[in-house]
Amino acid sequence: MPERIITMSEALNEAMFNEMKKNSDIILLGENVSSSFRGPTKGLKDAFGRERVRDAPISETSFIGAGIGAAITGLRPIVELMLVDFGLVAMDQILNQMGKTTYMSGGAVKIPITLRAVIGAGTSSGATHSESLYSLFAHMPGIKVVLPSTPYDAKGLLTSSIRENCPKVFLEHRLLYNVKGNVPKEEYTIPLGVANTCNEGNDVTIVASGLMLHESLKAAEKIKNKVSVEVIDPRTIYPLDEETILKSLQKTGRLIVVDEDYRYCGFSAEIAALAAEKAFKQLKGPIYRLATPNTPFPFNPRLERELLPNAEKIEKLIQKVIGE
Amino acid sequence: MSKIVLDNDKFLELYRVMIRIRTYETTLRTLSREGKIPARFGMYTGQEGVATGVSAHLKKDDQIGSTHRPVGHLIAKGINLDKLTAELCGKATGFNKGKAGSYHIFDPETGCLGANGIVGASVPMCAGYALRNQIKNDGRVTVSYFGEGGSNQGGIQETLNLAACWNLPIVFICENSSPVVQRMLGHEMDYPQLTIDNVSIRAAGYGMPGSTHDGWDVEEVYRVAGEAINRARSGKGPTLLEFKVHQFEGNLEGRLEANEKDKPFCPIDVLEHKLRIRQILKKDTEEKIRLEELELVQKAVKFALSSPEPDIKEAYTDVFGGAF
Repeated sequence: MPERIITMSEALNEAMFNEMKKNSDIILLGENVSSSFRGPTKGLKDAFGRERVRDAPISETSFIGAGIGAAITGLRPIVELMLVDFGLVAMDQILNQMGKTTYMSGGAVKIPITLRAVIGAGTSSGATHSESLYSLFAHMPGIKVVLPSTPYDAKGLLTSSIRENCPKVFLEHRLLYNVKGNVPKEEYTIPLGVANTCNEGNDVTIVASGLMLHESLKAAEKIKNKVSVEVIDPRTIYPLDEETILKSLQKTGRLIVVDEDYRYCGFSAEIAALAAEKAFKQLKGPIYRLATPNTPFPFNPRLERELLPNAEKIEKLIQKVIGE
Repeated sequence: MSKIVLDNDKFLELYRVMIRIRTYETTLRTLSREGKIPARFGMYTGQEGVATGVSAHLKKDDQIGSTHRPVGHLIAKGINLDKLTAELCGKATGFNKGKAGSYHIFDPETGCLGANGIVGASVPMCAGYALRNQIKNDGRVTVSYFGEGGSNQGGIQETLNLAACWNLPIVFICENSSPVVQRMLGHEMDYPQLTIDNVSIRAAGYGMPGSTHDGWDVEEVYRVAGEAINRARSGKGPTLLEFKVHQFEGNLEGRLEANEKDKPFCPIDVLEHKLRIRQILKKDTEEKIRLEELELVQKAVKFALSSPEPDIKEAYTDVFGGAF
């Protein structure tokens, strides 16, 4: 099979196009989803019409709620949030209604909705346009949380998400939209809850998602002559592929979690707890977390860089962990 | 549009539904107070004319979204009393295996798509049911119930706007149970929760028709609801109807006692009076209807009480729509 290099944005577009073409119950709702300028949704309105690719007013509670209702009555909505931070105005619909209704109804209703949201810091966008928030969604019951890191994963994970019969929050890092990679033209799926070991190694295990996976891989590459680093991308924050992480820890005995989300009560703490509960005897030293401190993101680029994990900080931490 | 009028049979049918709701609620409230059943629910007493007059125009597969005072809406829509009672008592044979209780009942079979424990939260989801109807173009309509207190929720304001922008086949029904004093039912309030007499004037701000009517007159409810539902069904868009009601029993069952001065606003008294004058309702018919409905309710209570508790494993199931 010859390589076919496209961007993550194009990969996401392809997944939605293919699924919408096959299944007329799939609709797309959100602010400016009909726009021809925005990568992931480009061309979908022309292909499927304004009934199914529908612009909504700036009122997240109403259009996310409408997506939930449409899912309850048999459609398969993809709802787009321009930025994940904007989802905070619609938390009742997302956390109470989307996440709990299937349980509350005793399984009488299913909610096959995919809530896509753009995440990520690093563009000097300030405190309400930079967050990741996957820990928040993963903390609450009834929601699967998906975070692709490569164009290949983006297409496979989005296809799976659209097809699954439960609520998903599907997060797309803004700085990864233009990252390129090999993506097969044909359809394929990647199951939710299966991690990917992106770099094999023996000395230390790094667990990292989204943009932080790329930073971790850069650090691992740079230090590879001195330290053999295993880098794991969970791909889904929930459900979590515990087995892949625990297997890696059996081999390395050392764990670093790199996390762009806030540190306190966050995803990094969950991975650390997993290691402490289920791999305690294999651990050769303390677990380290490199995460964004519980501080709002500043506008100033220097201040923002100060808060965020990056390859340089990861490399230093690897050296520290190995030195112990 | 042809004029919407009631014939004698239809009058008696509406009377029967109102008696069913009243008998059901008072019987269950008494049993609950005596500690004989664990059911606890917000009462609809005094509002029966609204759900009855509205639902008389709805088909089985039309959808409704309800509130935390759902019993009247559900019964008028034709829900099975046995399973309803079992659910209110938390039994395995309830619609939702005892996981919903009164606040979250779902019965897709009769289009009862959600009571809701969050004030106003079912309304955005109702826009989704209506969106499904519009896309499928099969003539179904959605009725979205809320109260005057809920009308202040942002989600409802947003949804009124969204429904108008998308021209959705939906009728919003605001049951205003504080028609004289603007207060929240059952709560002392020092400040008003509304500074307008009629919630329906808000419709103008969203570009849809809105009007206010006597909710204690089922004939009036039937007429105006019929017009709004026909309008929605024929693709002409949403309507906001407000019905003034006198709620006799307060927010949660038993908190407030019936107020003597509210009695002239009892929808059942009002209808009985009309039907006797017009010689539609004779004494023996009335007694027969009341007895039959009481038997139906007693049968439902018996079913619920003899039903098993849910299996302890049910605590963990249905989070994502299947075994967890």
